[in-house]
Amino acid sequence: MSSTAVRAMVRSPFVLIVGAVLTWFIAAFLVWPNINVLIATFFPDGSFSGRAAEKLFSSQRAMKALGNSFLLAVALSITVNLVGVFIVLVTHYFRIRGSRILFLGYASTFIYGGIVLAAGYKFIYGDKGIVTSLLVKMFPGMDPAWFSGFFAVLVVMTFATTTNHMLFVANALKGVDYQTIEAARNLGASTWTILRRIVLPMLKPTLFAVTILSFLTGLGALSAPQVLGGRDFQTITPMILTFTNSPTSRDLAALLAVILGLATILMLAVMSRLEKGGTYFSVSKVSSALQKQDITNPVANVVVHAVAYLLFAVYTLPVVLIVLYSFADGAAIQTGELAFGSLTLENYERVLTQPSGLRPFTVSVVYSALAAVIAVGGLLFVARLLQKYKNWVASVFEYLLHIPWILPSALLALGLIISYDHPNPLVGGAVLTGTTVILLIAFVTVKIPFTLRMLKASFASVNSSLEEAAAIMGAKTLYVFRRILLPLVLPAAAAITALNFNSLLDDYDTAIFLAHPLVQPLGLVIKANTDGAEGVDGVANTFVYTVLLMVITGVTMYLVYGRSSREKSRKKRLPAVPPASQVPGSGIPGTPVSGEDAAQPAAPVR
Amino acid sequence: MRTLKTLVAAAVAVTLLAGCGGGEASPGASGDASSAPAGGSGDTLVVYTNSNGEGRGEWWTAKAAESGFKIEIVGAGGADATNKLIAEKNNPIADVAFGLNNMYFSQIQAEDALEAYEPSWAGEVDKELGDGETYWPLVKQAILLGYNSDKISADNAPQDWTDLWTKDEFKDRYERVTGLGTATAQLVFAGILSRYQDDSGDLGVSDEGWEQVEQYFQNGSPAVAKTDLFARIASGEVDMGQMPSSIIAEREKSFNVNVETVIPSVGVPLAVEQIALVKGTEKKEQAQKFIDWFGSAEVQGEFAQQFNAMPVNKEAEAQANPEVVDFFADLKQQDIDWDFVQENMGAWVEKIELEYMT
Repeated sequence: MSSTAVRAMVRSPFVLIVGAVLTWFIAAFLVWPNINVLIATFFPDGSFSGRAAEKLFSSQRAMKALGNSFLLAVALSITVNLVGVFIVLVTHYFRIRGSRILFLGYASTFIYGGIVLAAGYKFIYGDKGIVTSLLVKMFPGMDPAWFSGFFAVLVVMTFATTTNHMLFVANALKGVDYQTIEAARNLGASTWTILRRIVLPMLKPTLFAVTILSFLTGLGALSAPQVLGGRDFQTITPMILTFTNSPTSRDLAALLAVILGLATILMLAVMSRLEKGGTYFSVSKVSSALQKQDITNPVANVVVHAVAYLLFAVYTLPVVLIVLYSFADGAAIQTGELAFGSLTLENYERVLTQPSGLRPFTVSVVYSALAAVIAVGGLLFVARLLQKYKNWVASVFEYLLHIPWILPSALLALGLIISYDHPNPLVGGAVLTGTTVILLIAFVTVKIPFTLRMLKASFASVNSSLEEAAAIMGAKTLYVFRRILLPLVLPAAAAITALNFNSLLDDYDTAIFLAHPLVQPLGLVIKANTDGAEGVDGVANTFVYTVLLMVITGVTMYLVYGRSSREKSRKKRLPAVPPASQVPGSGIPGTPVSGEDAAQPAAPVR
Repeated sequence: MRTLKTLVAAAVAVTLLAGCGGGEASPGASGDASSAPAGGSGDTLVVYTNSNGEGRGEWWTAKAAESGFKIEIVGAGGADATNKLIAEKNNPIADVAFGLNNMYFSQIQAEDALEAYEPSWAGEVDKELGDGETYWPLVKQAILLGYNSDKISADNAPQDWTDLWTKDEFKDRYERVTGLGTATAQLVFAGILSRYQDDSGDLGVSDEGWEQVEQYFQNGSPAVAKTDLFARIASGEVDMGQMPSSIIAEREKSFNVNVETVIPSVGVPLAVEQIALVKGTEKKEQAQKFIDWFGSAEVQGEFAQQFNAMPVNKEAEAQANPEVVDFFADLKQQDIDWDFVQENMGAWVEKIELEYMT
């Protein structure tokens, strides 16, 4: 069966072109550099030694840290889904008072993360934190250091990583056909049954994709365990980073990274298996847009409201404190003592009046934007083909595209250097090191796995009958792609682009090895100004940069979301068009295709 | 509202476009520096350093420009800069590297990424501090054990690192590192382990030596990410820990604490920042001139004055802060077999990370 599919696949010129470009890209930038760096690490003298494995498996600390990372990954896959689905339902499914404000609070994780986020939580729940002080006053016997270890890390990381739910699960939820829900209700189904039997199953492809991401986030946890883990809960990533930096121990780093990578791929395989064969789009003839649901049980209603607002407080407090502390001096930040009288603009003045000025910001914005657009633009075609053709060739390509998840970015960068510091036929005999292109290539490659996963999930929820109808009417592959599929996945694609852009802005690990000396991005400047060993101002600068990045990423998200809400309001004013929906269900010839395109004068279907 | 959104969108688009232009034309756009993409040829010297924080990078760039050198500083942590120089050895981008200590430079030298050069000021410095061939010493830094002197009197203070875990009153009162990625931490261990050199021991160190490491980790209070040792001293969490000499005065002021340092009878380890010419640079002659200028007594003196540093160049000492000079004059330097340390440091770090850090 799969061989026929392969034969059918190679008959399409579209597939052949995309396939050729993809093969070249994978060979040149994913496989070759990483094989080089792995050979250099595992076969330093041309012969393999089991040294790395032996050392690691006999180290108690390494095994414990590895175990902790896995524990966190598994726990996080569950807790993030629980909290994530809850906040999505509260903001998009149930009728909750003030859901727009709630949305803004929950969305705060879009714009910050990392060490500063962990520090933000520490200001609140740490031993000198605001909440802890209150609690100690109420319960004098309690341990002020209660918020540490596995529990604290899990709580912070759970609330910090619901971003993907807010973007992608919410987006998928908008595509659920309301008519099915109404029908179920007419048949007497309860709110809970509807949720469990109709709504959640439709979200499956997206939930699978975000679960993999949560798992991966847990495995790669770095700053939250460092700040809150204490003695008992340290993870493996800090060790990987130390060993990556030491040429004589790099094999240990690579081995650890490969172990984590294989676990991720295993997770991916399990999820792909679960995802296979399901129908994740509306099959009704005329679908309609989701309407918010009332929670009929008054007790449940009160409880949901209370939990929703409690979570709102949990999400927003750290942001508020980080912004406040960014005006305090470095000593106050580190000792946790905040005096409102001592807040000044000095930190901002110092950061913004550096001789390098705004140039690093511009460099980073341009690099990140280019990389984000290239990654999403290119993978739109790839994700589409991988979703359409399910055979062994497609699977091989799909797994190869996940290589950047296996190795830490410093090793990816080193691989690119050692592969392209001499004229290489794979790139037309050019030398890439020392050019401005090599960093862009690295930025694009590190974003491939995430982009692919999310795009594929979003293609999975597109009704294939639309495409078939267009094809029957004689539409060419590219036309179908451009006019039917693209508009449907565009909201998800825009969200992915924005997230990619945001996450690349302050990259250090890749840029430090690959940046052109005259075009240095922001990450390097931040590092120079915030390194622990570089003065008291360092910590204050970290906060300032975080707030500045919040502004940039906030604007990005606003542009992406401001746009889509504007289009929604425009559609409301066009009564001639069927109700806006992510999943237009009509396959009847002649009916204009709804969706984002519907707002434009419908082009005659040829 | 809609107009506002359009305006924001337009503004961002314009910024992006302007940025694009800047990005494309960047080599030309950065000052007057004209440079081709391949590693910045032209007149601009590309200088790698880990010593660019706290305004030092800008200071050097401005000073160099006054003397007619166009330089572009690329800052990176010590380990990152070392790895970068080694990774790029087949097609080097940097022309000069400075600021890394002898341990880092000897790694780079072992990978054959440095070019031998004897600077014009070679006679003014102690050759022993560098390798006398490729990398040359600039600035001295002492790696010290400091304690809160408001809380602990000099008589009751520890006399040596080993007191921290052998005497009960210091247990859990000192900060211990949680990673060996930094040069300071590595030098502390170089100072401790090289006292227990034993060819028959594991990695050249006797069992007693490894016992010390184990005790160090078991009895110390782990460092907290993004919280400076001085902040922890100020809040009373710990009373002592490792610190490089150059930061003490400034941190004392910022955190309002007083710190005294311990001078063990064996002396203290010195980190010596160096400068070297990168092998394969296309601007060799210019880079050599730059090194001659950089390490000269006059320039080093000015730098020392500005940043409270201790210059190696004997003639530059006169311009340095007298307090700093006096401190180093009294300081007993620990006699460390650097060849032994350099040969083993990678393996030591690995062993400590895997077996002793808990």
